[in-house]
Amino acid sequence: MWQRFTLYDIRVIGHYLGVLVLFSSLALLVPFVTALACAEWVPASHYLLTIGVSLVVGSALRFLRIEPGRLNRQQALVVTGLAWIVLALVAAVPLHLSGHYGTYLDALFDVVSGITTTGVSLITDLDHLSNADNMWRFMMHLLGGLGLIVVALSFGLFGKRAGASLYMSEGRSEHVVPNVVQTAQFIGKIAIGVILVATGILALLCLFAGMEPVRATLHGLWLAISGFSTGGFAPMSQSVMYYHSFPIELVLMLLMLLGSINFVLHSEVWKGRLEVFFRDLEIRTMFLWLAVMTCVFAASLSASGEFSDLPAMLRRGLFTVISAFSTTGFQNITTNQLTTALSSGAFLVVAVLMAVGGSGGSTSGGVKFSRMGVIMKSIVATIKEALAPDSARVVVDYYHVGRRILSPEVVKEAMTVFVLYVATYAVGALVGIAHGYEATQAIFESVSMASNGGVTSGISVSGMPATLEAFYIFQMWAGRLEFVTLLALLVEVVVSLDPRRLVHRS
Amino acid sequence: MSEVRDRARRAGRLLGRAAATCALCGGLLAGAPAMRAFAEEPEGDNAVNTQQLPDSSFIYDTSITDLGTADTYYDNQTVQVTGEVVGDKISEGLNGRRCWITLTSPNDSSTVTVLMSSESAAKIDAFGAYGTKGTTLQVQGTFHLACPEHEGLSDLHAEVVTAVEPGKVTEDPLDLGMFAPGAAVVALGLAMMGVFYWLRERQR
Repeated sequence: MWQRFTLYDIRVIGHYLGVLVLFSSLALLVPFVTALACAEWVPASHYLLTIGVSLVVGSALRFLRIEPGRLNRQQALVVTGLAWIVLALVAAVPLHLSGHYGTYLDALFDVVSGITTTGVSLITDLDHLSNADNMWRFMMHLLGGLGLIVVALSFGLFGKRAGASLYMSEGRSEHVVPNVVQTAQFIGKIAIGVILVATGILALLCLFAGMEPVRATLHGLWLAISGFSTGGFAPMSQSVMYYHSFPIELVLMLLMLLGSINFVLHSEVWKGRLEVFFRDLEIRTMFLWLAVMTCVFAASLSASGEFSDLPAMLRRGLFTVISAFSTTGFQNITTNQLTTALSSGAFLVVAVLMAVGGSGGSTSGGVKFSRMGVIMKSIVATIKEALAPDSARVVVDYYHVGRRILSPEVVKEAMTVFVLYVATYAVGALVGIAHGYEATQAIFESVSMASNGGVTSGISVSGMPATLEAFYIFQMWAGRLEFVTLLALLVEVVVSLDPRRLVHRS
Repeated sequence: MSEVRDRARRAGRLLGRAAATCALCGGLLAGAPAMRAFAEEPEGDNAVNTQQLPDSSFIYDTSITDLGTADTYYDNQTVQVTGEVVGDKISEGLNGRRCWITLTSPNDSSTVTVLMSSESAAKIDAFGAYGTKGTTLQVQGTFHLACPEHEGLSDLHAEVVTAVEPGKVTEDPLDLGMFAPGAAVVALGLAMMGVFYWLRERQR
């Protein structure tokens, strides 16, 4: 029987959402300080106001339950599912006040795109945006890339012995160390370390390209955050093309690759266990998938006259492949080139790369290599069973941080999420088509949203239909949470609102 | 009957063209002093561009938005665009002879990448950013949908660069009054937090 919420559940959920909203006021201090440092007084006043709003809203929500106790699994699912949208509603306030968005919905779209690390933006006149607003956009990438719950856990917001249910409800299932809080802290340390090193390198490269020291440092930091969190926002409207620097593109490709690898494998490499890394199912699937898709993409590029020569193919093609598969969304070709100069085959290859995505337990989106690997192994198992004698018991194993047996539960989970992704891509494409867009463009954009890919075919621009915009927000949200958390949340809400159902609590 | 209609149409078209030419000449004459005020091109210099392609390849006064959505028709055409310089001057290569500039459309936020000589870039007095309106440049050059010299980049190689309008810096005024609503809401939020912790301590 479906379970439904009691008033107690709602009060506990409200309390913990309040904790998260209060925490966002700390995050808002970063753009506030940036605004003060850069003498951007108008944005500074916007951030002060938003800090106040988050303090009031957060405290009001916490009043729902003064002593909430520990979260159970159902409550954790709802807190995670709602956290992404409740925080987005508050975070959109300063961006809307910046005057760079047509409507509040446009600002909300950008915030959801930021925290889900999608990277598509509806901003107008980005090149005149204040440093404070830019800092806030990239802060959202950082928080969303690590995972809002992971960040909250690492700061001890849910207590030192928070349950694994919270951690798992955000699309993460593996622990680097047994304790969830310590795992979250480990992920945070890796991310901060990589981002700091990359910031230094990128800032030097920007300086070398001719930028002023302060701008070079800020751009270095923002690009490093966006690259490692596989976000895709860029401080300039021309994305990575703006820098005209192959070394910068090279560093970003490395960052995107690092960001799209499972954090558990990062820890194995950190411990010096390289054989664990190279034997892993995800890594092997990644190498195989990238090799095949790069060849297909190169072949399709050679069909278009503009990108058929080797230097263009290597510089534009390779970057696009890495940006798409890692679901980052950085572009070193224009959206116009994507739709006019590239062949339709190359265009669809980019969509397929985004649809599959990177590794599980990383910052990238999409179906994930781990699931693709498991599904492939399951196909192998089915063929083996068909060929084996009746008395034989077929066992298929795979390597993922140790040898594991392919169980029906693992296959079921992989297949369920795979089907949900494909269904969402299809429904999103139909919604786009229903709004009058070309089918290929609509398919591409839908995949880009649900996989949190971020490469745009030009549909997502300021002034797009509000209904499509709202649907894309939903797709980004659902894709980031890998559906199960969100579907569970929706079912619980629907069931709780149905008066015919009996109250049943285990 | 149809002959009469054709003649009338032809006459109409001729009148239209004459009016447009007059308007264009008038506009140019009227705009000339303002443009001359900031243009650094010495009069008479570069009056004849020996590299200029035949008229059929020159698209006069193209908008940056059009180049942002250009198809192969625009590829390798000589175009002229006017827009605000934003961002930074990015060096092309190590010798520093040429640099990359980003021009943004005055109507929307479309941009085009322009490759120009460092001498031409010296005409830029301000780069557009928050609180700064960059120099408005008029650039005549060759547009590449996918430039073979720059690994497929969509760019505009400038031949003639003219500064049309100087940049302008507008600093944010420090007005403490605009912080008042924020400060009031923060005070309310902190008070609510205080009450929450007081209530929690009372319950324990």
